[in-house]
Amino acid sequence: MNARLLPPLSLLTLLVLGACASVPERNVALDQARSRLAAVKAQPQTAALAADELTQATEALRVAEAARAAGDSLSRVDHLAYLAKQRTVIAEETANSRAAQAVTASAATERDRLRLAMRTREADAAQGKLAASEQANIDKTAALAQADATAMADRDRLARREAQVDDLQGQLRELNARQTDRGLVVTLGDLLFSSGQANLQPEGQRSMVKLADFMKRNPQQRAAVEGYTDSVGSTAFNQELSDRRAHAVLDSLVQSGVPAAQLSMQAFGESRPVASNTTASGRQMNRRVEVVFASQAAGLTAK
Amino acid sequence: MAQPSSLRRPAATLSCAFGVGLMLLGGCASAPVPKEQLAVAEAAVKQASSTATGEGAPLELRVATDKLAGARAAVASGDMVRARQLAEQAELDARVAELHAQTTRSRKAAEESQNAARALSEELDRKAVR
Repeated sequence: MNARLLPPLSLLTLLVLGACASVPERNVALDQARSRLAAVKAQPQTAALAADELTQATEALRVAEAARAAGDSLSRVDHLAYLAKQRTVIAEETANSRAAQAVTASAATERDRLRLAMRTREADAAQGKLAASEQANIDKTAALAQADATAMADRDRLARREAQVDDLQGQLRELNARQTDRGLVVTLGDLLFSSGQANLQPEGQRSMVKLADFMKRNPQQRAAVEGYTDSVGSTAFNQELSDRRAHAVLDSLVQSGVPAAQLSMQAFGESRPVASNTTASGRQMNRRVEVVFASQAAGLTAK
Repeated sequence: MAQPSSLRRPAATLSCAFGVGLMLLGGCASAPVPKEQLAVAEAAVKQASSTATGEGAPLELRVATDKLAGARAAVASGDMVRARQLAEQAELDARVAELHAQTTRSRKAAEESQNAARALSEELDRKAVR
């Protein structure tokens, strides 16, 4: 080959080859379009969400490949490769957009679910409060009923006690009890004893029965039996007489069933006279046994 | 007003023959104006030229509008092959611009909705702890 002819000949060859393009040559744009489509097809999201668009892109690439294989011009193959690339981008972007829309939709559903859970929880809380307040109401009503019952029981107890007191007062009236600063005093007069003696007369027995009854019916009433005499006779004699009379009363009560624990005794002899010893009636009044109920029991007053 | 500008230019016979040859190989020697394709491209670009797309994908939209203008210019200079190609490309470019802007919006909305759901979930947990 003549060296001077080489450059123009090779240039011509290249031009002819470029113009005729009977042999398919590599096309950069087509290669890029092909690899891009392959990459996007491999994305599971795109395949799932943009199947139609992907099909169109595949078809566009096929057209571009066919043009290259048929020896179409560079500009034509480039153009078709560009279209195929853009269709691939469209498929990818369509899938991305749909995926984002799905996320929004599911987030909205999640929000609705959460709101529902919140409303349900609020409703349950309100229901719980209602139940609690209803229960409180029931409890209050029960407490009120209980208080009523207690009040009624108290009233009954008071009524019984008042009846008891009335009864007590009735009994005390029968005993001729007298309210003093020492307490309630039942005086057993001299006539209940034989003169100068300590034996109880029949009249005295009847008083004893009444007194014993009273004490048995009121076991909480404790009594002090006190013996007194007038000033006639020696102090020692009178002391001993008052002691024997007080004893007689005490024994009589005990024999009638009054517990000894309810009773105590004291002999005062001629001390503490209640009347003047210079007159007969005064002396008679001084000759006595007093049964004293200390005024600690409630409601124990003589009327 | 299509006038093949290549015939006007003073050129050597060889380059002229090559030019015709290339046009022949291109497949469209006396091509009509690609009216239908231009109309489709114009509609696609018009649709994509909304404010939303302009804000979301300005570069992509610019590509589409430039190619449409190029298609019209190619018609004016008599290069119908090129006009058709540019019109076809402009149609797809417009769609890409639209989708790009839409994807950006959708992703933003998705993120906001997820944040809202998370905030609600946290609020629910706070109330539960009380």
